Amino acid sequence: MWITSKIKQLLMVMKPGVVTLDYPNERPPVPANLRGQPVFDHQKCIGCGGCSDHCPARCILVRDVCQELRVMLYDGSRCTYCGRCADICPEKAITMSNSFEIACDQKEDITTRMELFMMTCQRCGRCYEMEKTNAIDRINLKGFRYDNLEQRALVRKTSETFDPALLKESDNYQRPSDKE
Amino acid sequence: MSIRKELEAKLIARLRDDVVCVEKTDERTIYIDVKRAGFREASQIITASGARYLCSIGYDNIERDGTLAMVHTYALDDSNRFVCCRASAPVDDPVLESITPDLPSAGWSEREVTDLLGLRFAGHPKPKKLVLADDWPEGIYPLRKEVPHDFVPQGAEDVAYQLDEAPPGTKIVPVGPFHPSLHEPEHFAVYVDGETIKGCDYRGFMTHRGIEKLCQTQVSYNEVPFIAERICGICGSVHATAFSQAVESAAGLIIPRRAEFIRTMMLEIERIHSNLLWLGVAGHLIGFDTVFMQAWRVREQIMWLCERLTGNRKTYGMILVGGVRRDITPDIAEDILNVVKKIEDELTVIYRAIEKDTSIHKRTKGVGTITRQQAIDWNLIGPVARARGVDIDARRDHPYAAYDEMKFEVPVLDGCDVWSTLVVRVVETFEAIKIIRQCLDKMPGGEIFVEMKDKIPAQRHAITVVEAPRGESVHYVVTGEDNRPERWRVRAPTFTNLQAVPLMLLDEQFGDFPIIMGSIDPCFSCTDRVAVVDLQTGKSSSISKAELDVMSRKRLQGNQLQQVQK
Ligand code: SF4
Ligand code: SF4
Repeated sequence: MWITSKIKQLLMVMKPGVVTLDYPNERPPVPANLRGQPVFDHQKCIGCGGCSDHCPARCILVRDVCQELRVMLYDGSRCTYCGRCADICPEKAITMSNSFEIACDQKEDITTRMELFMMTCQRCGRCYEMEKTNAIDRINLKGFRYDNLEQRALVRKTSETFDPALLKESDNYQRPSDKE
Repeated sequence: MSIRKELEAKLIARLRDDVVCVEKTDERTIYIDVKRAGFREASQIITASGARYLCSIGYDNIERDGTLAMVHTYALDDSNRFVCCRASAPVDDPVLESITPDLPSAGWSEREVTDLLGLRFAGHPKPKKLVLADDWPEGIYPLRKEVPHDFVPQGAEDVAYQLDEAPPGTKIVPVGPFHPSLHEPEHFAVYVDGETIKGCDYRGFMTHRGIEKLCQTQVSYNEVPFIAERICGICGSVHATAFSQAVESAAGLIIPRRAEFIRTMMLEIERIHSNLLWLGVAGHLIGFDTVFMQAWRVREQIMWLCERLTGNRKTYGMILVGGVRRDITPDIAEDILNVVKKIEDELTVIYRAIEKDTSIHKRTKGVGTITRQQAIDWNLIGPVARARGVDIDARRDHPYAAYDEMKFEVPVLDGCDVWSTLVVRVVETFEAIKIIRQCLDKMPGGEIFVEMKDKIPAQRHAITVVEAPRGESVHYVVTGEDNRPERWRVRAPTFTNLQAVPLMLLDEQFGDFPIIMGSIDPCFSCTDRVAVVDLQTGKSSSISKAELDVMSRKRLQGNQLQQVQK
């Protein structure tokens, strides 16, 4: 029995042969609806903040610098490529591209920053972009609002090797406990 | 007499005034509120009426009435009912009676609640730390509402977990802090006498990420499924589906039938993936890398299929509260059928090639044995239980999604060992393929998503069970304010099965440790370093993974040698 099993195993291995791809020289085709890196179209975005409200990783940050200027920052280092932002966006300003080879040394390389000029509504004082229809009310803002760019300071820094200086510095980190 | 009335009568007969109320919230869930004096006895009465213990959930009720509450949950598998027994204790005297002496598998649930909420259990046989880090400060209970989700206490030096005393005459072999092959952290201290394992103690939860706390404080209902999916890299859809079902059941939301079919299909695709992955890992653990390579080659096709279907190889991101995100088009349906056909053929070839291989039998038959009765006592679940003659499967016993319309077999074997587990999982893969075909066959048209129109009322409780490839996952949700759950408890299958591992290891050979561990398909990883401490001299040396592999392989070669000589 042992021998027949071994013969069967030999056949099982021989039939498919080598299946490993010679990546990166040989690349398998990327399927059309892959959820790759989200790409933002500043022409279409009306700055409604829907994407930032619904991003499970909270990596789209919104900040109103002043009444007329809203900054949107997409922090790709924390993105989970779930595609929720693209689903939510009322203006289809976000597309999930098919790029997935996005490992890099510089966080900035996968960060997108948009500065949007907003108009103030004469009646309610809220912001929206002038020439587009207002979609604020179409989006149900239920979630948590993350509009503090400084929160990024809470993302801890790490070093390749043990760094006593960095450890020392971590003593000064704001810990929620000593806020009170 | 209905099941609820029957239970109520039994409880009142024994506990009288301690029973506060017995109510049925939906078709299949019965809630029992008892005073704390009768908590353990109520549990005894419930289990005596044939219920199987699932898990326990603690939650913080301090703001409302100054208590910490605890829920024990049970399943009545014959009649598709869940029984939840609740009691609470005031926060200044947070003690309840432990049920672990009656139900050994409640041990971890109770220790977890003690760690995270500060509720103590009188009479617990092993009231040690389970979840929290060794240097976590006393008196801070992270799941209480007053503790912020990003609280980071100062670390402390010189604190270590006190492992159990080794039985006399044995030596300790620590395995960990990473598992020797699954690449997840865990720490076992294995007590060996020569090569024979005489017991073990476990220290884990090193990857406790506080997901429950995060979801209870930061995100909203529709973002939790994405986080739930990341609880486990393999049964992602299981957790997302379970969470969504729990919320839907609390909110009374009915989702479109088509969405239920798609969910069922995703769960079965995931099962094929997981079983093939496990088959490969099991082969690797016993040093049979041909199985590993071939099973994973076959598995690769399902990952590519999922990439076309959902946009990603794993973490499908398909499930939301209220339905699913992507529809199944006729093109993709055909694609699915082709791929599962191919997998069916190729898996048959693999199975034929290994089913009679005596060298595999030698390493897996009669290894990791526990009896059927022990499996029931420890509430084993999933393929591990089915390989030990326990006939449970949540898909059949507590149908969810579209499983009520599916026809499939539940393989039950009574070999009680690792080999039977392997066979069960291979057979289940074939069953999964059958289910996928039925899904595509019978899938009704219509919507795939229904919007949540109203606010979900707070303070509703819901429990749901989903059969993951490695056993059932239990999710319990207490709805809350601000569009997010107030308490969300996930009991992954490993949580239960791992507790019985010491029993499986007893009197086995140390070289079999990896495969016995691996046979429950634990959801943590096992890697490189094994330190051997000689108790007598206190000297410690390290075995690398390579050496452990060599030890493991030597057993295989020894077996083959014997075989050839025969
Ligand atoms: S893909 Fe998901 S995680 Fe990434 S930005 Fe969009 S919503 Fe956030
Ligand atoms: S949801 Fe779309 S329109 Fe709204 S802020 Fe985000 S990208 Fe802009």
